[in-house]
Amino acid sequence: MSAGSIPKGSVVRDPGYPTASENYLTNSKGVLSWIFTLDHKRIGVMYLVGVTCAFAFAGLLALLIRLHLFQPDGMIFKGAEANNYYNQLFTLHGAVMVFLFIIPSIPAALGNFLVPVMLGAKDVAFPRLNLCSFYLWCAGAMFFIGALFSTGLDTGWTFYTPYSTTTDTSVIAATMGAFILGFSSIFTGLNFIVTINTMRPPGMTWFRMPLFLWATYSTSIIQVLATPVLGITLLLLIAERTMHIGIFDPEFNGDPVTYQHFFWFYSHPAVYIMILPAFGVISDLISVHSHKRIFGYRFIAYSSIAIALLGFLVWGHHMFTAGMSPMTTIIFSALTFTVSVPSAIKVFNWIATMYKGSISLTTPMCFAIAFIFLFTIGGLTGLHLGTLATDMHLHDTYFVVAHFHYVMVGGTLIAFLGGVFHWWPKMFGKLYSEFGGRLSAAIIFVGFNLTFLPQFVLGSRGMPRRYATYDPEFAYLHQMSTIGALLLGVGLLVALVVLLTSLVKGKKAPANPWGGATLEWHCTSPPPFYNFEHAPVVGDPYDFSNVEWDGANERYVSTEPERKIAPSEIPDAVPAHAKDGH
Amino acid sequence: MKLTNAFSLVGDYAEPYAWFPESASTFSETNDWLYNWITYTCVVFFVPIMCALFYFAVKYRKPKGAKAESNVSHNTVLELTWSIVPSFFLVGMFVMGARAYLDMRDAPEGANEVNVQAFKWGWTIDYGSGVFHPELHLLLDEPVKLSMRSTDVIHSLYIPAFRAKKDIVPGRYNFMWFKPTVASEKVSDEELAAATKQTKERGESWSYDDHQFTPDGYRFFDLYCAEYCGTNHSEMQTVVVVHETLEDLNAWIKKYSARPTGVDPATYGATLYNNRGCAGCHSLDGSKRVGPSFQGLYGRPEEMVTGESIKADENYIRESILYPKEKVVAGYQPVMPSYKGQLSDDDIYSIVEYLKTLSTTGAATK
Repeated sequence: MSAGSIPKGSVVRDPGYPTASENYLTNSKGVLSWIFTLDHKRIGVMYLVGVTCAFAFAGLLALLIRLHLFQPDGMIFKGAEANNYYNQLFTLHGAVMVFLFIIPSIPAALGNFLVPVMLGAKDVAFPRLNLCSFYLWCAGAMFFIGALFSTGLDTGWTFYTPYSTTTDTSVIAATMGAFILGFSSIFTGLNFIVTINTMRPPGMTWFRMPLFLWATYSTSIIQVLATPVLGITLLLLIAERTMHIGIFDPEFNGDPVTYQHFFWFYSHPAVYIMILPAFGVISDLISVHSHKRIFGYRFIAYSSIAIALLGFLVWGHHMFTAGMSPMTTIIFSALTFTVSVPSAIKVFNWIATMYKGSISLTTPMCFAIAFIFLFTIGGLTGLHLGTLATDMHLHDTYFVVAHFHYVMVGGTLIAFLGGVFHWWPKMFGKLYSEFGGRLSAAIIFVGFNLTFLPQFVLGSRGMPRRYATYDPEFAYLHQMSTIGALLLGVGLLVALVVLLTSLVKGKKAPANPWGGATLEWHCTSPPPFYNFEHAPVVGDPYDFSNVEWDGANERYVSTEPERKIAPSEIPDAVPAHAKDGH
Repeated sequence: MKLTNAFSLVGDYAEPYAWFPESASTFSETNDWLYNWITYTCVVFFVPIMCALFYFAVKYRKPKGAKAESNVSHNTVLELTWSIVPSFFLVGMFVMGARAYLDMRDAPEGANEVNVQAFKWGWTIDYGSGVFHPELHLLLDEPVKLSMRSTDVIHSLYIPAFRAKKDIVPGRYNFMWFKPTVASEKVSDEELAAATKQTKERGESWSYDDHQFTPDGYRFFDLYCAEYCGTNHSEMQTVVVVHETLEDLNAWIKKYSARPTGVDPATYGATLYNNRGCAGCHSLDGSKRVGPSFQGLYGRPEEMVTGESIKADENYIRESILYPKEKVVAGYQPVMPSYKGQLSDDDIYSIVEYLKTLSTTGAATK
């Protein structure tokens, strides 16, 4: 039997194509049907548009930063206010990227769309809360943009005191924005926890959930438990600024390091809010595009939970140079190393999944491979920073900048792009140009490395971060980095163009373009309003034995052995052997 | 050409791309060794993983619809192995890093103590007996302990060549120590004279970047502020000079001990302007920086934040140095640190005299 034919004696199961009125995009019309929608898929799409705009905005700021740093004395901004502009630029870049893009990107945009569909449910548990969380996100974004257009913000995205309590920029507006975004994040997390706990259909046991759901579940736990701490901290910061209550500001007998503890108690777990969903996306991508069962399902699932829990214990590694006691410092260093083990396990598992698989180098797979490469570099360079002595040298230098960009951009952004390309046909019912997609992945990969690899060297050579101007000896490496950033920008633009043109010119997508076995591939592309025409049959999410390529129709279909439900002739009322007896 | 020359040529060419800055303290050797060891360990893991990743991606590429050759779901022995083996390396890194850290943390008995004050956006090093200077001067092979404080926000003292860094948190003292192992060379007198002349002709403050040595002719190591501290964070830099002998260091300190006899106050005021951090915020050419320019300031009526107009006379300047947040000129922030207790009466007098030379009103009164 040649690859890609449907075995004889089997029945093909495929939901086919949706008719004009039965998918979620077309079943109701008009702006109001979107604004007041309670459909998780539409909310997911609105989030997708929102976070993409936030990303584009913050990405352009990043390009300005890089262009400014093309020359040691600064290329873009000149004159007395140059440093202030630069400081506002990197603050806004960081704050928008973190609070408006990276944290909500995968959980809110892809998660909202996918969690109920993958689960085989009709919607999330609290559809109104879901819509509310989207509008909270919009409100938070407004506050950030408002801060920009009033007096700017120049504290860095971490709002460290006492600088943030004394600067005359819009700290209050921005922290209010972050506070509101926190609620958006909590509501999304809460919704997913309840949905996954209570709305799994019969047959969907915990260990039959796709790993993306495990990742979303662990992320939600962090969101619900850690975000309130940030909320309280930001309120305290506002109280400190307006009423001088003396918690963080030494002028009023406060302690600035207390703020750092509070802040990182949220923000370090938040790093895992950013990366855990990415792990989930990559696990599904690698498995589906290798057409092979994921290797070590339970290890991956448990390691997500382990990362979520250990992530709460390591916040102190942001303060190794702040002057904590030696004992505290050493304990935090030891705990930091423990987080690297479950992360490493996942990388090994992904590569083992590819071994003896049937790999299709599709666009999502290219992004998944890029992810493994970049995230491994990001993870390994974390060891230099977790080691106490070397961190003394590297802390607050470009080494740190490179490290967290490898994890957050090379990790989360690449996984987000891989996920968007993977589920795009499902979300919009259109296929994009495979050539264009792979081209964008290649340009992004090269551009990204050119941008951030030189920064490791910059850092170990002693270039401090957040500098608007720098010593001429660092110019070579900064220039390499800037050229890389421009290339990265081109790659992202190509990706955007490929996706948008597919909406207009793309071929109609079949229900299962990649050969996935999870439930979302069992409904039409795009899915109907209630996700499934018939209640889906829950099976093993990583069992590809029944997924066959239907070459004639260019689609993957599920097959099952042909079973005779009833014999074609109705037998005699009296059985044959009974007749013989007479 | 000899082979060694060829290598040194490569070395010169590769220098801007080197991994580390110059190694100049007892910490740098341990630190670089540890850094390299971690890096090599990472490479040992990274290369096979990536080879496998790309090799599998090519080798197991199949046409659409082909089935995977194997569908193994797990292998407990393998999974435990790859969880446990890396853990040993991690423990190694942690232990070595923590030990080296404790060495960096505990200053040896009898280390020379130097007080450091960080402010937006500069440094003041206290050499005792009323000598303050922005440059950090140390003695070769002698451990030195810095006792550091900040007058405003969090700063961080970072000397890349020493691989040493510590935050300076307002409201508490933070300490760090190191032992420099490389002395700063002195440049030739002609070179120094040429640079001094050039600086004077241009009427600018000394440019460390252009000359790559201090106004006293010493080569130096960079000292940065590593914790973001506002507008001129990236300009909060100074230099470290390591003297070979105590005599040399003392001679340097003596040079800055007070206004030497025979030096007129205005000239000494110019020195203070450069040494005590005024130059960071107050320009001489009329351009607006964090604070008002000193050009033509003396004798000029200035509008305050409160709306009243005050003439910048001797008393106003004196008050502004000691209590800078009391009367702030409109359009500026009250960010200047107080110099109370840091400048002697003669110092303030010298600065006022210097300001007079920068203003037509001031020059006329002379």
